[in-house]
Amino acid sequence: METEYDQVLHSVAQVKIADQINDSGDVNRDEDGVKVSCFTEVFDDVTLQFQIIRLTKQIYVWIGYNSAKFGNLYAAASTRPSNTVSVTSVLGGTSDNTGSGIARRLVMKAGLNIILACNIPKNNPLLEAKAEKMLIRKLIDLGYTMPTPLRAT
Amino acid sequence: MDDAANFPVRHRKFSLETKGNKTEIVICSYEDHILVIATQIGAMGTILHARKEEGMSVEPTFSVSVIFGKRDEPMLIATARRLIDHISSFVPSKPLVLSLGLKDHSSETLKEIVAAVIDNRLW
Repeated sequence: METEYDQVLHSVAQVKIADQINDSGDVNRDEDGVKVSCFTEVFDDVTLQFQIIRLTKQIYVWIGYNSAKFGNLYAAASTRPSNTVSVTSVLGGTSDNTGSGIARRLVMKAGLNIILACNIPKNNPLLEAKAEKMLIRKLIDLGYTMPTPLRAT
Repeated sequence: MDDAANFPVRHRKFSLETKGNKTEIVICSYEDHILVIATQIGAMGTILHARKEEGMSVEPTFSVSVIFGKRDEPMLIATARRLIDHISSFVPSKPLVLSLGLKDHSSETLKEIVAAVIDNRLW
């Protein structure tokens, strides 16, 4: 019986857990480059449009609220030593931060640098939260997220 | 994909080969901006913003600036200037957001990118 037990232990020890650092499999997936996904979600009387452009080392996202305006542009990335996420406003949006929170949380989920353009009006946290939820769900569907989030919350 | 037909933002994606580097280009046309992404490195690289100024003089003037990334590469600014010049003759009110993530910034590469973008333009 001990030998069987030992055998089982051996085989378990040999099972390799899939390497979670190999995020999103960008080696096997996007060697052929850029992928663009566009989709629209309608709820209540609000139309949210999403455009996700997946580059090998970055994701660009545009969120449109009831219009096709470009909106404010934010860049977010994880900073190396402590894995915290920094976000900055690149175009517009200096006095309101609509979208910067979304960008930051996307980096945590996706593990890649994010460039986010968002024209959601300010003072609308519910709308922001809804947009973020839909976006994250879509990112998971498309396989762009890391299996474990960047930072344990 | 009837979604793509109804989506308010039109986009076009293509790639070209210059000097042995594969450049992926995506052009998107928003309501109030044109976005052009040209990447060889798999990232957006340097982002520039260019727009035509409303002015009184006959000659158009343009404002081009780097908003993210390398600020010491005049060729990138020249590229944005060339493109906004072209865009503004078709849609004068749309500024350009240009993202260049390139391995080489030689003028041949940039000229080819500009030519390809103009050939495949969405404006």
